[in-house]
Formats: sequence, C-alpha cells, structure tokens
Amino acid sequence: MEQFAAVKRSKDGQPVRYLIVDDSVFARKNLTRMIETFGGQVAAEAGDGLTAISEFDRTHPDIVLMDITMPQMEGIEAAEKIVQAHPEARVVMVSSVGYQENIVAALQRGARHFVQKPVKPEVLYEVIKYVMGEDGLVANAAGAGV
Amino acid sequence: MESAAVHGALAEICFLTADVFAAMLVSYHRGGPMPETAALRIRIDELTSGKTAKKARKKSSAAELAKSGKDWSESEKLGIARAQAAGLAIYDVLVKIDVHCSMPIAARQLIHNAIGEVGQVLAMRPEAKTPAASKQAEFVIGSSYSVEQISTKCRIPTISSDVNVLLISAAPLKKASHEKEPAENSAPEPLPVCERSDAEGSTPRCETKAADEEAPANPVAMHEVPASSLASAGGPQVRASESSGQPTAENILRVEAGRIDNVLNLVGELIIGKSMLQQALNELGKRYPKEPLRGKFADAMAFQARVLNDLQRSVMKIRMIPVEQLFRRFPRIVRDVARQCGREVDLELSGQETDLDKGILDAIAEPLTHLVRNAVSHGIEPVEQRRAAGKPPRGKIRMNAFHQGNQVIVEISDDGRGIDAQKIRMKAVESGLITAEEASRLSDGECLDLIFRPGFSTAEVVTEVSGRGVGMDVVQSVVYRLKATIHIETRVGQGTTFRLKLPLTLAIIKALMFWVEHHLYAIPLNAVSQIARSTEADVHQVDNYEVLQLRNQVLPLLRLGRGAAMDIDRKSTKLFVLVITVGEKKYGLIVDKLEGEEELVIKALDDQTFVTDLVNGASILGDGKVVLILNLPAVVEHVAKARPTAIGVTNTGLLLNQADRTRLTESAGGRA
Repeated sequence: MEQFAAVKRSKDGQPVRYLIVDDSVFARKNLTRMIETFGGQVAAEAGDGLTAISEFDRTHPDIVLMDITMPQMEGIEAAEKIVQAHPEARVVMVSSVGYQENIVAALQRGARHFVQKPVKPEVLYEVIKYVMGEDGLVANAAGAGV
Repeated sequence: MESAAVHGALAEICFLTADVFAAMLVSYHRGGPMPETAALRIRIDELTSGKTAKKARKKSSAAELAKSGKDWSESEKLGIARAQAAGLAIYDVLVKIDVHCSMPIAARQLIHNAIGEVGQVLAMRPEAKTPAASKQAEFVIGSSYSVEQISTKCRIPTISSDVNVLLISAAPLKKASHEKEPAENSAPEPLPVCERSDAEGSTPRCETKAADEEAPANPVAMHEVPASSLASAGGPQVRASESSGQPTAENILRVEAGRIDNVLNLVGELIIGKSMLQQALNELGKRYPKEPLRGKFADAMAFQARVLNDLQRSVMKIRMIPVEQLFRRFPRIVRDVARQCGREVDLELSGQETDLDKGILDAIAEPLTHLVRNAVSHGIEPVEQRRAAGKPPRGKIRMNAFHQGNQVIVEISDDGRGIDAQKIRMKAVESGLITAEEASRLSDGECLDLIFRPGFSTAEVVTEVSGRGVGMDVVQSVVYRLKATIHIETRVGQGTTFRLKLPLTLAIIKALMFWVEHHLYAIPLNAVSQIARSTEADVHQVDNYEVLQLRNQVLPLLRLGRGAAMDIDRKSTKLFVLVITVGEKKYGLIVDKLEGEEELVIKALDDQTFVTDLVNGASILGDGKVVLILNLPAVVEHVAKARPTAIGVTNTGLLLNQADRTRLTESAGGRA
C-alpha cells in the first residue's frame, strides 16, 4: 500500500479519530486499514444507523465515514441526525455510484463530503484532508512513519 | 413592445422565406413551376418601408447586446439586487467539475454547500440534471469574502478541477443601493452585462487551478452550454452550441442506411464466430494441455478480438448521429404550436452534440414531437394565468440530451402547470379507463402512468394540436419497442419533465445470462441493480403476490419457472434473486443458476417463428447455444396480469414450450 503523510489533529497533534459505519464487516475492515495508513485511529465502528448515532455520542470522533444502504436506519438519516445533534460533525458519505441521488440528499442534510465505492485510498486521503480543513495537520515527511 | 411586434413580423418573414426557398428547391429538382413569391415580397416591403423599421433595427441591436450577457430570471435578479442592498459584493463563481468525478450531481451539491459557507447563493446555472451540470456549475453569490477566499473554498480535491471567481460588483455603499433597489426590480439592471469572452477587461478576475489538472479549457468554449436567453424578441430563441454546427461538407459521405446495417449485422456474426473460436480453443486446451501451438493460437485470437472490438465500435459509430439533427426541428415546431395556442414560449436546447443511433433517433422523433407539442399546449399556461401565478409571462421549454452510462437520456421539461394526479384520476374514472375503486388504490406515480393509456386526455377542449387522446400511447409503445424507459416528474404549478432513457444502440447489449429450468435466458445488464441470494423461507405472500424482503425494501417476485414452487422441501431451497428495475419499480426475478454476463448480438425474431412479446430477441453463443432475451416490461406486465390465486399455479406461463424453442434454434442456427 502507498505511504501517506499522516494527518493529525491540529489542536493537539493526536491522530484523527474515525467512526466507521457500514453494514459489511469487510468494508469496515477495508476502511480501517486505509485510515490507519493515513495515521488515523478508529474510535468506533457501527453496522447500522442507530448504532452509529449512539457510537457518535459515545466517542465524538473527528470524522464519520458513513455507508448509505444499511439495515435499521439508512446512512442519510443517521447522518442527518448526527449533524442535527452535533453541527460540527464531519460526516463523509461512502457509497457506490448508483446512489447519487442519495448522496445529494445527504449533502443537503449536512454531510460534508462523499467518496465513491470502491474507495480509493488516495481519494479518501484527499477528502479527509479537505474535510479536516484547518483542524487537520499533515505531518511532514519525517514524522510520517506511523 | 413595438420592437417585439416588429421582431415577430421579421421572424415570420424569415420562416416564410425559408419555406419558399425549400419549395423553390423542390420545384427546381422536379423541374416544376416556381412557387409564388409576390405575397412574401409585399410583406418584406411593408416591413422595410414602415416608419418603425429604423427604430426597430436599433432596438434589436440593443437586445442583441443584452442577450450576449447572462440571463437571469426575475426572481434571481431581485435576489441579486437585495444582496447588493444588504452590502454584499456580488461574485460570479464558475467551478469546473473534475472529469474523473463519477458523481457530478453530488459534486455539484458539494460545491453548492461549500459556496454556501462563504456567501449567499443567489443564482445557479446550469440547472441540475442537465448534461452541462455534470461539467461545471456556475453561481452568482453575494458574499463579504474576497475573491481568493471564495476560490480557495471552492477548490475541493477530486471534485472541482478549475475555479473561476469573477467580481461582478463590489460591495456597494449602503445608501446608494437603498435608493436604487425599489425602482429597478423590473429592469435587468443589477447584473451588468459582462461577457466572459473579454474577461481581461476592467473586471478583476482571479483564475486558480487545482494543481493536478491539465490546462484550463478556453473560457469561451467552457461557456458554450449555458442557459439560453430569455426575454427579448418574438419567436422562441435558441442558442445552439457552436461546436455542433455544420461540419465541412467535403468529407461527408451519404450512404444508404441499409448498407451500414448490413455491415453491422456481419460484424455481429463475426462476434459470434469469435466466441465459437474461443470455445474451441478452450476445449483444445483441455484436450492437449501441452500443445505448444496453443499459445500462438491464443495470441492470434486476442489480436483478432481486439480488432473485432474496434471494428464493432467503429461500425456502431457510423450509425451514430448527433441529436442536433433531431433537435433542430423543434424551434420551429415550438414556435408554430405556441402561435396556434397563443402561448409565449422560449425553447432551450442543450446537449445537441450527444450521439445516438440513427435508428433510435428516427424512432423517437415522433414521440418527442408529441411531447413537445404537449408541453406547449397543455403544459405552459396562457400569459394571464402565468402572471397570476407569479411566473414570468414567457413559458420555457427545455430539451436536453446526455449520456449516462450506457444510455442516452433525453429530457423535455417545461415550467408550466404540471400534471395534477388527482385530475388524472378523475378523468380516468370519468372516461371509464379504470373504476373508482381502482383509482383510489393507485399511487400518484401510477396515476401519471395513466396518461400513456390510449384514449386518455385531460384537455377540456380538443384543439387542432392536441387533446385528442391519441399520442401518449404512441409515445409509450415506441418506448417499449426501443427497450427504453420514460419517466415523468411533475409538480403541480411548477412544471413537468419527461425523461426518456434510451439504449445507445439496438443491436448489441450487455446482458446477464441465467438458467431457469434448463433454459438459458438473458436480460439487459443495465436493468439489473443487484444480485442477491435468499431462501424460500424469506418469501412472503401479500395479496396473492409473492414478495421478498431484501434489506429494507419489499420486492414483488417474478418466477419464470414452474417447478420451483412445487418443491416439497421448499423452506430451505436456496434462491438466486436478480433485483431488476423496470420503469421506476424494482422487482425480484427468481432464477435457478447464473451463467454470467456477455455482450450479446441481438437477432430479431420474426413474427412467424415466434408469438410472444415476452421475448424481444435471441442471440447465439459461442457454443451454439441459443439464449432468449427477455422483454422485461412485458414479463412484469404478464405476471401482474396473471394475479395468481395460489403460488406457482398460474404464474407459470412464461416458459416457452419446447416446440417453440426447437423451432427457434433451427431458424437462428440456419442464419448463423
């Protein structure tokens, strides 16, 4: 896998913490592996929208990676609820091309960004840097060996 | 207003002249007498000798000038004026969407969100769901941020490739703008005309590029698809993109379409031959695994396959012609119909450069004409009604074509009164198409589908152009024939959009093949949205229909086979379910075994061989197997009509009987 300069939180230099929401264990593993190469840390995982909301409340991650189609509660609704309760939440939708309308809906309801499945690491990396904005800090090459 | 009248007359004369010229050409070819031109000459004399002529000409040049700038609707202009009054600077932000971004509509929304953070979005172009919308988005915003700040905000990795921020007017002094505001609502003043093409002028312009992007396209080219103009002269105005103009004549060959069809047909046969060879090679490999010649053989095959692919694509391209050839007749149609109905309508065309198979283009010409006529005569309200509803007096009809995956989408939208599902329901009951009880059960979407029924019309008055109740059923039948879909999107009082999804070509489809009771079938791959595994235990019965719950959607099930239902040990039987989309609805299709996907060359079935509309073609695979291509809308309709009283008893009529099959195999094989 390619090497990425680690993205840290600018306020305390700690790893960016993620909440990964997807009903497929495989997809969650895959995303976890990816964000670990970005120097991130998985705060929690959730397999459906309801769990996602409670996990968010529990862990307050910096970024939520949210799938769209899930049992119990769909990603859009979960994203909306999370953003309503925590306007500062950074929710990134993860979905395949066929759900473009849903992504538009999610963006209208407060999601910050989206990535397309299958997720490409370099794309996700750029998206995360963008979403973190000034709250993210790209460690210099020397510090990248996480 | 005076100038508008003159414009109208001028346009009228132009059209008449064109007609006369056409007639002259025809009579020249046939050697007949030349048509009468005196009447036309008199009209021209009238116009040129009239006192108003000079004045009108001056005014028209002024209108010309206004047209070259961006045109914004009244409400947008008002919004801009308000923002100015509120002390915000007005910017024009143009963001090019990254060509690699596969979800341009979502990208657009994201850009909208981003811009929303730095300013107030006052206007947005082009409209969503147009082809241009997938390339760029243009916003007029009121903001207190600087050009640099805004452009930084809009540079989103993987989404935007090029950002252009243009200051239209700096934040005005509060006092001045307050004085200005009330008087100027009606005038197009607040937005000074600013042509992009000479942007180096006095207006400050900041060009920023995302680092990884190639050189920006020339700014004029980037703007060739914006919203067309509103507001000025008499007839509907059309601004076609320059690129779709006439190609040079010398390099064009006019060939009879039949010859090309023949070539395409032969290419199809070649493709079958290729898969036969491939099959043979595979068998050879199994029998003589050590044969060294095999490698050579495989190389040659691969090469041939590549060339064959190119050949196929080239031949298909020959048949492709730009939609422009079809679209260009519509300005005239709209104008004529609008005149007849006393409407004021502007027509806006985009996506003319989209290529479409000639056969399909010809086939949709009539339905499109019908839809456009409908839009003008039913959709757009008379001027007074529009005024009363607070809309701009001139109606607007938009025609649009673009590629989406393996399909071409043609849209016709109007900003008229929309279709009232309730009214349709009543009319349908009144005219006896459905019973009151049926009507109450239909959803609004299903009600809209009623307009496709023969004999249905909501028009109170039958006119020369529409309201006779024929037409929409013709549209529907063409749509089915082309394996296309049509979708209606309507909002009462706001307008209607008809969206035709057309296949790129009729001859070759990507198909998913599967087995049902030892027979091989295929369905177009783009109809399949998901393949799922399930068990009989998950199948439930609702209203005598079998349904399957998959994640959180409930799918009506279609069974092709008859045996499955008879199994004794049903509960544990595993099922393959293909989730297919027909029209706007999803269904689950139960199959026994999946075979795989392949590009199939469709062989038409002639009516003598075959009497069912459930199958709309067949294809021959490399090993000589015949696969039937199911006509999904018909299959769905068939099952819906059958309304099984008990599962597995009546919904079994889909399978072809053995005799049919043998006959088909023979006839198809004979041709191959």
